[in-house]
Amino acid sequence: MQMRRWHPAWSSVLSGVLVLVTAAGPAAAQGKPIRIGEINSYSGLATVYTFPYREGLLMATKEINDAGGVLGRPLEFIFRDDKLKPDEAVKAARELVGQEKVDFLAGCISSGVGLAISAYAKETKTLYFATHCQTSRLTWDDGHRYVAHTTNNVNQYIRALAKKAATMPYTKWAHISPDYEYGHNVWEEFITYLKQLKPGVQVVQQNWPKLGETDHSSYVTALLQSGAEAVLSVVWGAQEIAFVKQARPFGLFDKVHLFSASVGNPDELDPLAKEAPVNAISPGFAWYDEGMHTRHPKLAEWVKKYEARTKKEPTLGASWGYASAYIIAEAITRAKSTDTDRVIAVLAEGYEMEFPWGKVIMRGCDMQAIPPQWVGVVKMNAKGRPVLASIEETHGKDLVKSCDEVAKLRAAAAEKKK
Amino acid sequence: MEALTGLFPWITNGPLITVQVMSGLSVGMFLFLVSVGMSLIFGVTRIINLAHGSFYMVGAYLMVTLVELLPEHTGSFWMALLLAPVGVALLGGAIELGLLRLIYHRDPLMQLILTFGLILVIGTLVLLAWGPDNKSVSRPDALAGSVRIFGQPFPSYYLLVLGLAPVVAITMWFIFYRTRWGMLIRAATVDREMLGALGVNVAALYTQVFVFGSWLAGLAGALAAPTVAVALGMDADVLTTAFVVVVIGGLGSFAGTFISALLVGLLQSFGILIFPAVSIVLLFALMAVVLIVRPWGLLGTPEP
Repeated sequence: MQMRRWHPAWSSVLSGVLVLVTAAGPAAAQGKPIRIGEINSYSGLATVYTFPYREGLLMATKEINDAGGVLGRPLEFIFRDDKLKPDEAVKAARELVGQEKVDFLAGCISSGVGLAISAYAKETKTLYFATHCQTSRLTWDDGHRYVAHTTNNVNQYIRALAKKAATMPYTKWAHISPDYEYGHNVWEEFITYLKQLKPGVQVVQQNWPKLGETDHSSYVTALLQSGAEAVLSVVWGAQEIAFVKQARPFGLFDKVHLFSASVGNPDELDPLAKEAPVNAISPGFAWYDEGMHTRHPKLAEWVKKYEARTKKEPTLGASWGYASAYIIAEAITRAKSTDTDRVIAVLAEGYEMEFPWGKVIMRGCDMQAIPPQWVGVVKMNAKGRPVLASIEETHGKDLVKSCDEVAKLRAAAAEKKK
Repeated sequence: MEALTGLFPWITNGPLITVQVMSGLSVGMFLFLVSVGMSLIFGVTRIINLAHGSFYMVGAYLMVTLVELLPEHTGSFWMALLLAPVGVALLGGAIELGLLRLIYHRDPLMQLILTFGLILVIGTLVLLAWGPDNKSVSRPDALAGSVRIFGQPFPSYYLLVLGLAPVVAITMWFIFYRTRWGMLIRAATVDREMLGALGVNVAALYTQVFVFGSWLAGLAGALAAPTVAVALGMDADVLTTAFVVVVIGGLGSFAGTFISALLVGLLQSFGILIFPAVSIVLLFALMAVVLIVRPWGLLGTPEP
């Protein structure tokens, strides 16, 4: 067999092909990455929310970088575990800003952690994007120019629930809420708005179990004899699962209609399985709902992509992580710079973005995200799996407190500090 | 009387009070099962086992896995209830032999740090093994519903707890006061050095007690699994309450733990009826009062 001589022309053909191949794909991001320190609870009980959230965030980051990055530079998140503790979070923030030299801070699932990072951000003039915690105090009472909130706050989704509650015939209300910042915040927002929409509503009984209480049977018997027609449950996660499992055999939900701030999400419905509280009314991200797909045709593709990436079904947290990465990237793109003051100027102007589940408004006056809100009814689907059905969608812009109201809240909070 | 019924409309409602007493008692029985192992381990080894709540959590997670693994059968729940605590007992034994044994003679602070470290290690291992999602165990069909007590519904699963915990308590009493092993345990709580000097293998006794205490924590976890969400964090929740119960009853006192658990259970259930807004405080108020009046607990003995 005769060896073929390598003709020099082949080399140029080959290199030409190589150039074509590389140029065919989108220009992948190059250069020094834009680095964002992400502080969240990546160990312990909050991982049920934060792991899917991180997947969503990383999925969006990959999409952004594959499409050329932000200002031609790749976006990079550097993750730190706050162990659900504000002081750990601040320690991590100090390390990220001081040693890692990150451009911005992001993260939080616990409201306490979010407020602590926000205080640090204000002090050091670092821009902080609160991504996952929901207290309204972040951008309202305790708001300042160095904190933006890229997801829902309590005010919006609890008003959506109260609006639904106002259409129903119940006037005697009770509640069961964990006895800490979030529990009080949600209950106050709910009952104030409900009374505003429906005068004549009265509170017949209140329950304040401690956060993480595991036995609720005494609260259940107290609720049973309270004469309430409806009850709002603000307990969440494992605690709410325990509450529902304990309340069912007492027949509580046959006598009192359950409204819940969180039971409609799969992290609670799936473990409850056949013990799920059918007919309960709750906000939730029903990515599987047919009506949702009709209103949001791009949702199906997003769900498929998320499932292909993670081998798991998406969650509300996953959608928040996904949206947060894009909202942050958009602010930097519009500012044409990673300079803190210029990015803040863009945020203070406000902008809107389309997501597979609808429009998210980044409102300028408080740098607060205003997404669509969904409320549904818990039903068993054909396979006997509990889901949120009969979804009613309202945009947060029709529910949320106005810029004037926010200004008043900030003034009142400033007054208090004096 | 009228003033009383005005304030507390439920006071003439006999059936309601009965149900409230029964649910208070079942809470108490749960608390007893969780705390008695902790109290026992402290009584004998003088170690405050902060990882007791983690053993409880592992018991609940093992219950989830066993109920899933065992073939679908009416008996699988009961098999799991039998096996899960044994798994926790084995874990406890391994920890005692591999770690605690090395530090019995160290400063008590070292022991606290070690058992605290175990909380973090076990918590992380549980996250790795079972993942972050909340889990749940269904009640066996026979106990899924409720029974009527004077017309008021009462969950039938709690009847199991109300029945089982006293059986455990009576068996333990029998072991402590009617067997040689129990006698050695009681002797160890009074004077360990003397017991060792008399030729008793104290090291083996420690291991046995630790295994038994872990088994009790596992049993409580397995039994609680169908009434709660099996989730990360359940270790810390139960640890606080168990600790309060043990302190009120007197560290190391078996009867004290029993009385204190029932007291705390009833206090929780009636506290909610009487002071719904501040019921959370009552538990700690009771502990504060006990600590002021009897710093060594209801039935504990003061350190010499």
